[in-house]
Amino acid sequence: MLEEALEHLVKGIVENPDDVQVRARRFRKGKVLEVRVHPDDLGKVIGRNGRTAKSLRTVIGSLAGGRYVRVDLLDLHEVR
Amino acid sequence: MSDSNTEGVEETGAAVAVAEAPEETVDIDVEALENEGDIAADYIEGLLDIADFDGDIDMDVEGDRAMVSVVGATLDELIGEKGEVLEALQELTRLAVHRATGNRSRLMLDIGGFRDSRRKALTKVGAEAAAEVKKTGEVKPLAPMTPFERKVVHDAIAAAGLRSESEGEEPNRYVVVHPVG
Repeated sequence: MLEEALEHLVKGIVENPDDVQVRARRFRKGKVLEVRVHPDDLGKVIGRNGRTAKSLRTVIGSLAGGRYVRVDLLDLHEVR
Repeated sequence: MSDSNTEGVEETGAAVAVAEAPEETVDIDVEALENEGDIAADYIEGLLDIADFDGDIDMDVEGDRAMVSVVGATLDELIGEKGEVLEALQELTRLAVHRATGNRSRLMLDIGGFRDSRRKALTKVGAEAAAEVKKTGEVKPLAPMTPFERKVVHDAIAAAGLRSESEGEEPNRYVVVHPVG
């Protein structure tokens, strides 16, 4: 559910919604949600002073109900 | 980024507004605000569906801004302890509206009547601070608040006939009440 919620929230605010990909990775302490967006949209999902990124993390963190979830914002072509 | 380059989007809505409001003082483009409400409602509704929350969405225009309220069901996860999740969602919703219309939005989002009850509580805070300052004649700083909260308090202080200002930097910006005279 969290991946889907995050994908919805991000797709609504970027210029290239078709390029949005969300991938969940689990590790011992919790979950990492990797969001990949079009390079032109990276600034948009981060926002001034990281404000938009913070908003996304606040909403997702709350929906996760106290479980630790990290949200990483990446450029579509970034290799990990 | 391309904010100034969006006249095309504005034109259709603006033409209607002019026809409806011939006197060109701050004419509120109700149709544009309703359109903002529609976009916001779709965005929020999508989230409610995914998160499997019940809740109806009411849309309204309050003064010069669109107002979207989610009512019904328990929606605590979408509000947060101090309304921080609500503020975050409002921020994202405004961005979604901006993406769709090309115009910056001042849309107000409310969930579960949170803003209403906050408004009442803060009006009281403002009125009480004003009463105290009237009595003592001394400047009184209040606790840090969000922009929405400060607005409500400023209004309450103005209603009591006093002057107030905001000082400090976000997120610790606070209202200072000044005695008259």
